[in-house]
Amino acid sequence: MNAETFLIILSGIPWTIAITVGAFTMGALLGIPLCAMRVSKSGILRYMATMIILILRSIPPIVWLFFLYFGIGSGYLQVGPIESSIIALGLITSANLAEIYRGALKSIHVGQWEASHALNMPRWSIFKDIMVPQLVRVILPSATSYMIGLLKDSAIASTVGVTEVAFQANFVSRRQFQGLEVFAVAGLFYILISLPIAAIARYTDGVMRAKVAR
Amino acid sequence: MDQLQHQNRVTFPGLDSDQGSVRGQVERKSSMANQTVKPKIVERDEIVRVSNLGKSFGTHKVLEGINLTVRSGEVLAIIGPSGSGKSTLLRCLNQLEPQTEGIITLAGITLDAAKPASKKQLNDLRRAAGMVFQSFNLFPHLTVLQNVSLPQQRVLGRTKADADTRSRALLERVGLANKADHYPVRCSGGQQQRIAIARALALDPKIMLFDEPTSALDPELGLEVLAVMKELAEAGMTMIVVTHEMHFAETVSNRVMIMADGRVLEEGPSASVMRDPQTERAKRFLQAVRNR
Ligand SMILES: Nc1ncnc2c1ncn2[C@@H]1O[C@H](COP(=O)(O)OP(=O)(O)OP(=O)(O)O)[C@@H](O)[C@H]1O
Ligand SMILES: [Mg+2]
Repeated sequence: MNAETFLIILSGIPWTIAITVGAFTMGALLGIPLCAMRVSKSGILRYMATMIILILRSIPPIVWLFFLYFGIGSGYLQVGPIESSIIALGLITSANLAEIYRGALKSIHVGQWEASHALNMPRWSIFKDIMVPQLVRVILPSATSYMIGLLKDSAIASTVGVTEVAFQANFVSRRQFQGLEVFAVAGLFYILISLPIAAIARYTDGVMRAKVAR
Repeated sequence: MDQLQHQNRVTFPGLDSDQGSVRGQVERKSSMANQTVKPKIVERDEIVRVSNLGKSFGTHKVLEGINLTVRSGEVLAIIGPSGSGKSTLLRCLNQLEPQTEGIITLAGITLDAAKPASKKQLNDLRRAAGMVFQSFNLFPHLTVLQNVSLPQQRVLGRTKADADTRSRALLERVGLANKADHYPVRCSGGQQQRIAIARALALDPKIMLFDEPTSALDPELGLEVLAVMKELAEAGMTMIVVTHEMHFAETVSNRVMIMADGRVLEEGPSASVMRDPQTERAKRFLQAVRNR
């Protein structure tokens, strides 16, 4: 293993991070309306959300990716490899986060709503001051561990030619006929990227637990 | 009973100052030294009137034909077996559950089951009625001080400094000034319930609704909550208290209402209802709770 090999694999890291962060952001945002539909009073909306979530979650990420990149991307619209990867993973993430949000909503004791209403708190304040801070506490641990999973899933982008870590590792290992070391380095990079995510999660969770200790 | 209650009137910071003038005032008639002082309550405005109230959940009829009036300064205890609809009645009063039949008038706001309440009506109603729950329902992510202060800022538009000052005074009053910067989980159940009372009082309600405030507490911790409630009653707050505490019903409240199966079984001055119930059902219920 020489410095050049190392640098080539290293050069994949920005794409790995871009796809992970892009897909997570997209999923985190799209998950909100999806969760809202899922818990809505309207039966039709609830049913639609349930179906969307089911479909998004039952099909493997790589099938979604090929569907977007080779299916839609080649025929109807121009969808590049990076966009396809972010959208495919982002859609799946939205379904999973919608379920995580829903679980968090359910975990808030009904008494919190009742007390807020009995105190006559305005809607926006119930949302911003009472619900969101409590929701974040519940969501954060599952969302961060989901994000670490997403980081690993981002490797599927290599199949459509995004030059992220897995792609570069594959590339140099073929050129140099030395898979073991190369993939070990790639694996190490994944670990190194996920460590700060886990550390941040543990730190914030710890701070909040110390405060509220539920 | 009235004598006992209104003799030592303590001031309760946070109570509406003008309430004192409306609230039942003690008029001491006799000045003869050897005669018993006989206070008479005058000027007691009606603050709650419930007419023919009914509530159904789907086809399940939970309340039926409830009539009730509460005057300013009165303390009404509602007792009755589990499932008799006590909580539901209380929750109808501040519209956590809209009634399906009948009319509620609370602090001048009239809500008819026949027409949906407007947003303004709901606001006015809930502003007038403070509520304390069996399970405290403090906000776990806010400190004790913030729990009491935040609603004042959001609901009444008080500045943070103003709200904090009032909150500290109220916490002092319920004996919890030293807990201001703690989180609710660090407080005992009795302390949490007293904080919940302070939080509701901070919004200057005209009437306080209590739904079994001591049922989730050990007897000892319940006592500290009951002491605060007694003090509040003595300060002239109008209160409706759903309770299993017969001692409270007997000694602190002016009136008692016994409910069973969604109806009012008996209602009247606490001494007479508690000591001399008229219906068989009420007799059995009181017997049962006394033997517990
Ligand atoms: N949201 C609801 N949906 C359906 N039924 C309800 C609902 N809330 C209460 N009930 C029913 O209404 C009846 C009265 O309930 P309520 O809680 O008012 O009784 P309670 O007198 O407060 O009893 P407890 O002493 O156990 O608190 C019960 O049969 C209960 O099952
Ligand atoms: Mg109840």
